[in-house]
Amino acid sequence: MLFWLIAEVIKILIVFAGLLLSAAYLTLLERKIAARIQNRMGPMEAGFHGFLQPIADGIKLFFKEDIIPSEANKFLFILAPILVVIPALTTFAVIPFGAPIKIMGHIVPLQITDVNVGILFILALTSLGVYGVVIGGWASNSKYSLLGGIRTAAQMVSYEIALVLSIVGIIMIAGDLSLSKIVSEQSHIWFVVYQPVGFLLYLIASTAEMNRVPFDIGEAEGEIVAGFHTEYSSMEFAFYFIGEYAQMVVNSAVITTLFLGGWQGPFLPPVIWFLIKVFFVILIYLWLRWTYPRLRYDELMDFGWKFLLPIALANIIVTGFVMVLLKG
Amino acid sequence: MEALFYIFAFIAIFSALMVISMKNPLTSALYLVLCFFALAGFYVLLDMQFLAVMQILVYAGAIMVLVVLVIMLLNISRLNAVKTDFHQKIIGIIIAIVLFGEIVIYTVNGMTKKPTGIFTHSVINKIGNTQVIGNFLFTKYTLSFEIASILLFVAIIGAYLFAKKKL
Repeated sequence: MLFWLIAEVIKILIVFAGLLLSAAYLTLLERKIAARIQNRMGPMEAGFHGFLQPIADGIKLFFKEDIIPSEANKFLFILAPILVVIPALTTFAVIPFGAPIKIMGHIVPLQITDVNVGILFILALTSLGVYGVVIGGWASNSKYSLLGGIRTAAQMVSYEIALVLSIVGIIMIAGDLSLSKIVSEQSHIWFVVYQPVGFLLYLIASTAEMNRVPFDIGEAEGEIVAGFHTEYSSMEFAFYFIGEYAQMVVNSAVITTLFLGGWQGPFLPPVIWFLIKVFFVILIYLWLRWTYPRLRYDELMDFGWKFLLPIALANIIVTGFVMVLLKG
Repeated sequence: MEALFYIFAFIAIFSALMVISMKNPLTSALYLVLCFFALAGFYVLLDMQFLAVMQILVYAGAIMVLVVLVIMLLNISRLNAVKTDFHQKIIGIIIAIVLFGEIVIYTVNGMTKKPTGIFTHSVINKIGNTQVIGNFLFTKYTLSFEIASILLFVAIIGAYLFAKKKL
């Protein structure tokens, strides 16, 4: 019992520290990749090739003046950035990041908790991410923030449906909602082979859920300053960014677990395989951001409702048909 | 487990009270979200993980987001004067009395019941309660399940008709 408790606490600490650190260093990775795509050098001053840049940025943001606009709802204004970070970090609790290991005769699964409704748990937490953005936009008492909040809310509600439906194919093939079972089902062949459409749908819909370019109408710099976080400064601003990048890591981990075989792979240790796959999915997200221009508001809604949603439904029906044909 | 129940119960009752006593409608809506989380906690304590997740996914994640969105769009910042008339008070008092009576009857007559039939807690946990619910929806309760889905479909078409005056 005591061993179990200690192991659990250590796992939580590792995941927590790892997520925050990777969220910080993703900012550097993003700037380096943007620079590469635009034929520049990117940050070079702090440390070797700008390696200390995230830490310098963190210290700078920490010491900035914390400005709360007048007439703003103080409590909600401070609560909103926290509400962005919490669901993003909590989602990782159900993701298996390595094969079970043996320590002192006990088998320790490398997963904080194996909930039997794992996928639904992830979807439920993803659906809560919208609150931080909406409340932040409303509490700022600024028209740009409010516009950004409303836009984001409408966008996230629309794309969430496609996001949920894109996973249903996986649930049908695996026959289980627990993520550790889904990973072990993929020991022979990755689910991306069975569900290529589902994979693409999830990739697109999750980009929209994270409000990243090309779906970032909630913070479109060219139109509404910075959208929902226009009025934020100092650590609250940093929290929005930690939330966004942590969400990116978590979404990549979810894609890895559901479609790319999780921690399974030959030769290398499972944890390394997991990290490699997550890294490559993150690269896809970054690549998308620096390649495509922002969609217009009506284009974005059309794309979600008239293109992604029908394809997601068709994907479910086709998957069901094929499964019945192969069985009978 | 008992302690957890009391914590969730306290949160549920506190947030429910705040929903009706807050002046700002957005804060009320957020307290309602908190109340849903406490209810989801109850479902987890009752070994109903599927219901708990659905509670958060559907109520907190979808319905309340729409409510918050509407509050923001209409920009109702504060309720200053609440109009109350005599009829409202009478109806409110009658409903309160009936509810109180129901609670008294339940607490006096109610006792802990074990689930009957073959589905005991251990069986449900072995199969997984999502699978049990799914099986029942598509075998024993197919008709009611389909009727519910037709009802939802009718509601969607109705909403479409109202929103788009000229077709």
